[in-house]
Amino acid sequence: MSCAKLLCQECASQWDGIWYCSPCLAAKRTTVRSGSHAGGWIAVTAVSILLLVVCAKVMVWTGALLASLQ
Amino acid sequence: MIRAPLSTSSVLDEAADTVRKVASPWAALSIVTALPYRFAQAVFTDRLIQLGGEAAHRGHYLLMIAGWTMAAFVVSRWGRLVFARAVRLSVESGRAPGAAALHVRFAALLNYLYVSLVIECFSVAMFMTCFAPAVCTIVSGLAVGTAESNDHPSLAAPFRRIARTGNHIRTTIAVALVFFCAAVVAAVNVAGAFGMGVWLGSAVGGWDVQRWIRILSLLNRRFFLMVIAGAFVAVEPFWVAAYVTFVRKAGVVESGDDLRQWFEELRSA
Repeated sequence: MSCAKLLCQECASQWDGIWYCSPCLAAKRTTVRSGSHAGGWIAVTAVSILLLVVCAKVMVWTGALLASLQ
Repeated sequence: MIRAPLSTSSVLDEAADTVRKVASPWAALSIVTALPYRFAQAVFTDRLIQLGGEAAHRGHYLLMIAGWTMAAFVVSRWGRLVFARAVRLSVESGRAPGAAALHVRFAALLNYLYVSLVIECFSVAMFMTCFAPAVCTIVSGLAVGTAESNDHPSLAAPFRRIARTGNHIRTTIAVALVFFCAAVVAAVNVAGAFGMGVWLGSAVGGWDVQRWIRILSLLNRRFFLMVIAGAFVAVEPFWVAAYVTFVRKAGVVESGDDLRQWFEELRSA
């Protein structure tokens, strides 16, 4: 846990494989809620669409190259 | 008592048990969503071999097939992530999950799609090296294993999560090698199943057996490609389950939770 307090197993909760006490967990939850991540949504969506197009083109380029080696 | 909480055999054992629990309907969903993608890949490869040196002059035609392949890729990744979620829920609860498996967070799906596309792009571009597709297969497994941990979209965070599992690289490679052998065995079984079907069908009259024997022969390039595609589809649920189990176990070992589980097992024994 991030505050480094000693707690028994019953008083701790797991988040992403790490044990936290309730105040640390509450702080973590607040942090998650406060961020809008709008930039992340836009960036990942845009890059994913771009990669879909690029991947199809790379398939053709690599395929044509390999086929020409026959 | 020798305890190996994160060994290849323990990962494979748990994965096989979990697939048995979630086979209906989640493994079926994974297979159904993967089929169009593998079929499209086989068609694309078949056309490339057929065109040979002419392929460079048929860019638009090949791009159309590649476009359909990528559309099927998106569907297959959704099915794979739903199955991965079903596996995780089953491991946590010990039961087959219900409709909760379908409730995949959109952020996790988008991140997984993005990571998968990066891996696929790299794998296809470096296909000639033979080494890159093998590495990409391992990273792809880790991507589906860590996909649900992504609670918000990010370009770097999914890769950081994958890198965190790098401490157990030997187990990761061992699991990949096991599944390479499993794919070969699955291909033999798929080809054998079709051969058996033709053999049984030959007892029934009214159809051209010789024609189907030629079509379903491994000498037929299209059938050969379909057998390889079928083998990948058959192995995929086990492969996904293995990497989800692996990532979960790796996380448990790092957090010390394995000791708590061991203590509880000893108490209940």
